[in-house]
Amino acid sequence: MGRYVIRRLLQFIPTVLGTMFLLHYMTSLAIQFSGNPVRAIFGDRTPPPALLQSITERLGYGDPCLEQKGNPCFGLFFDRVSGVFLHFDFGIDLREQEVTELVANAIPHTLKLLVIAIVFEAVVGIAAGVWAGLRGGSFADNLVKISTVFVISVPIFVLGVVVREFVGVKFGNIVREQEWLPDVVAYGFFSPGFKPDYPFASLLIPGMVLGSVALATTARLTRTSMMENIRADFVRTARAKGLANKRVIGVHTLRNSLIPVITYLGVDIGSAMAGAVVTETIFNVPGIGRLVTAAAREGESSVVIGVVTMLVLVVLLANLLVDLLYAVLDPRIRYE
Amino acid sequence: MRGKFLKVAVAATATAMLATACGSGSSDAGDAGGTLRVYASEPAYLLPSNGNDQPSLFVIRQLYRGLVKYNAETGDPEMDLAESIESDDQKLWTIKLKDGYTFDNGEPVDADAFIRSWNFAAYAPNAQNNGSFMKRIAGIDAVQPEDPDGEGPKEAPEPTAETLSGLKKVDDLTFTVELGEPFTGFPIVVGYPGFSPMAQACLDDTDACNETPIGNGPYKIDGSWKRDVEINLVKSDSWNGEPGKPGAINYRIFADENSAYSAFQAGELDVMYTIPAARFDEAKASYGDRLYEQASGSLNYVGLPLYDEAFKDKRIRQAISMAIDRESIAEAVFDGRWTPATGFVAPTFQGAREGACTYCKKDVEAAKKLLEEAGGWPEGKKLTLWANAGAGHDAWLQAVGDQVKSALGIDYELKVNLQFAEYLDKADQREFDGPFRLGWGPDYPYLETYLTPVYGTGAKSNNTTFSNAEFDDLLKQGDSAPNTEAAISFYQQAEDVLAEEMPVIPMFWRKEAAIYSENVDNFVWNKVADADYGATSLK
Repeated sequence: MGRYVIRRLLQFIPTVLGTMFLLHYMTSLAIQFSGNPVRAIFGDRTPPPALLQSITERLGYGDPCLEQKGNPCFGLFFDRVSGVFLHFDFGIDLREQEVTELVANAIPHTLKLLVIAIVFEAVVGIAAGVWAGLRGGSFADNLVKISTVFVISVPIFVLGVVVREFVGVKFGNIVREQEWLPDVVAYGFFSPGFKPDYPFASLLIPGMVLGSVALATTARLTRTSMMENIRADFVRTARAKGLANKRVIGVHTLRNSLIPVITYLGVDIGSAMAGAVVTETIFNVPGIGRLVTAAAREGESSVVIGVVTMLVLVVLLANLLVDLLYAVLDPRIRYE
Repeated sequence: MRGKFLKVAVAATATAMLATACGSGSSDAGDAGGTLRVYASEPAYLLPSNGNDQPSLFVIRQLYRGLVKYNAETGDPEMDLAESIESDDQKLWTIKLKDGYTFDNGEPVDADAFIRSWNFAAYAPNAQNNGSFMKRIAGIDAVQPEDPDGEGPKEAPEPTAETLSGLKKVDDLTFTVELGEPFTGFPIVVGYPGFSPMAQACLDDTDACNETPIGNGPYKIDGSWKRDVEINLVKSDSWNGEPGKPGAINYRIFADENSAYSAFQAGELDVMYTIPAARFDEAKASYGDRLYEQASGSLNYVGLPLYDEAFKDKRIRQAISMAIDRESIAEAVFDGRWTPATGFVAPTFQGAREGACTYCKKDVEAAKKLLEEAGGWPEGKKLTLWANAGAGHDAWLQAVGDQVKSALGIDYELKVNLQFAEYLDKADQREFDGPFRLGWGPDYPYLETYLTPVYGTGAKSNNTTFSNAEFDDLLKQGDSAPNTEAAISFYQQAEDVLAEEMPVIPMFWRKEAAIYSENVDNFVWNKVADADYGATSLK
């Protein structure tokens, strides 16, 4: 077990360095081919050269290799890697903010969003899956099957905009006219986006949108797994023993059916981060996803490299944890 | 089983309710004047010497006040912190300050506050975006040295002084400013927020002052700048001038205009100073008279590379301009939201004349004749039209190309694939081989802002390399005229020179559009400073 973990951790090094170099090379190429992003700040006003130079250097775009097309800028790359790993220095953005600070400000919002999404997809997804799985072929089963197909086939950026316009604005405006409803529901929950006055309530709908795609998968996974296990030998034995139905379903069937579902939910954290890029932009959540989108749009290499490196680490660690959890859930799996 | 499912459902709902209840935070502080909730995008800087983008200026204008302010209706400068700004020779200006103004931290707003702020902005190693505004003050070359070889930003020399030699303190409330060259418009220019005073405590720690500004204006920051989320301003007790109307201003920061528009529709915002282009018609239909439209001073022009042999003859430049029907392009491409340009100075400016650009009217016959007189267009040569990528300029530029082709028979090609940074670099290096799109917006409400920086010989943003002795001479006479009325007549003559020489083809003036909610009693749009939140009152 210990050796396995060390081996996996060692594998992180080439993965992280490789990702960083790829990002570094792509953002450097972007600057080499499409010009110094600092010049674009000034727009139509040509800045005095002394000013342009000192701002360019201050923001970390002063390396001469950024003017040679195709140059992989190894020197700059080593500076960046040693900055990140030796000094925990991820650089600054075009507004002279530390990338670490940007991430520190953004991460609480993203975490809240992810927790809401995962809880939503786990609770509702598993409940719907159990409901459908126990009544194969019934109305309930068909309802869950059809509605999940709908959710899976609508891309998240469409779903997000539709929910914002119809639930947040149109339906929300009707809700806000109802005086008897508490403000937190009318102005928080039904707000068409993140609202600083209601930092949690206004994240619920964006979180649900983010969790909806995985919810559909969770529901279908649970349903299939339930149907399979309910015909399994150990369930028949349990019934033959004369156990109460509640215990047969709740303990024997459900617990065994959840193994694939939990693995899926663990892996889904990574893809939920990708979904957050879209959801956060649509619902104006000041999290990691909106940060990366804006940075990519403005060509801020230090932010893109810094944030994506951190995300890579998060996904790697989450995957390692899921793999280790596998062994915990299923004692037949051994890591040597 | 049914019982279990119910339990789970109830537990989930209860958790959600509990969580939402925890989330609800502050309620509206119902102080006098109410809270004005406005749309904002993330400012770049809140330090007045560094913030030069629109989102920054909207906040800085309420936090800081300078020597003069601009009248909302006419755009004329009025004394704000200054008692008087006077000069006999338009070169040495004596500025007297009103007594009794302080910063939020108690420091007095005196002559030192202005001198230290302007020196800080001008010193090149401080890398302040508004440093270039100090360029008229004597001694600028020593703190912001020029590139000796003139070959772009490679190696700029070290500055030889840290302060501007033209700034001298007389007494606590008086200082003199010596300009490098006479300039009649100086009292107008200093209304730009880049000329605001800064407290010593602010310059001692500019990073902290950027996050928690120490202003001198009618509002002060409540807490500090909540990056990417919001900025809250409340009325400042230390402000001695005319108080702001709303009790507090809440700037909600959005990364995307569409999500902001949704928030406006949901009643979460009182003012939005911009409308997503795709939603404009819808906004006009649903908000009617609460949609405010105003011609802006932002010009889109097509520059002609005078360094290229093909554009040396002014008759060719005049012919191209006369081949273009601006009205129909504005109608077809922008639904009439942009106004065709008929001069080089924004129509909203004092001294602007309708139709100053005589060659800006479509006249195909005259255009053909001019082209013929000039010896025609080189056989087989294509006219290359340049614009930066991804900003929606290709549609109207293509219309320009089509009109030139059908009127003069000159075939064209579009080059619209360069990103903005690279495009600007090409402009700086004078590498265009055909007409190129660029824009220009005013820095201060004085028509000179449209002339010297864009067409003056050797000016940095003079991308056409236009150089005309008569034009430069008229500008000089205007700069040193005894008063602005006299100056304006010189500038108008200079504009006439441009209209004859046509170094650029003026195309369109952009229009600004804002929407405001039913809570707003009186919405104030300042002709110079755009939406004025401090003057906007709530019901």
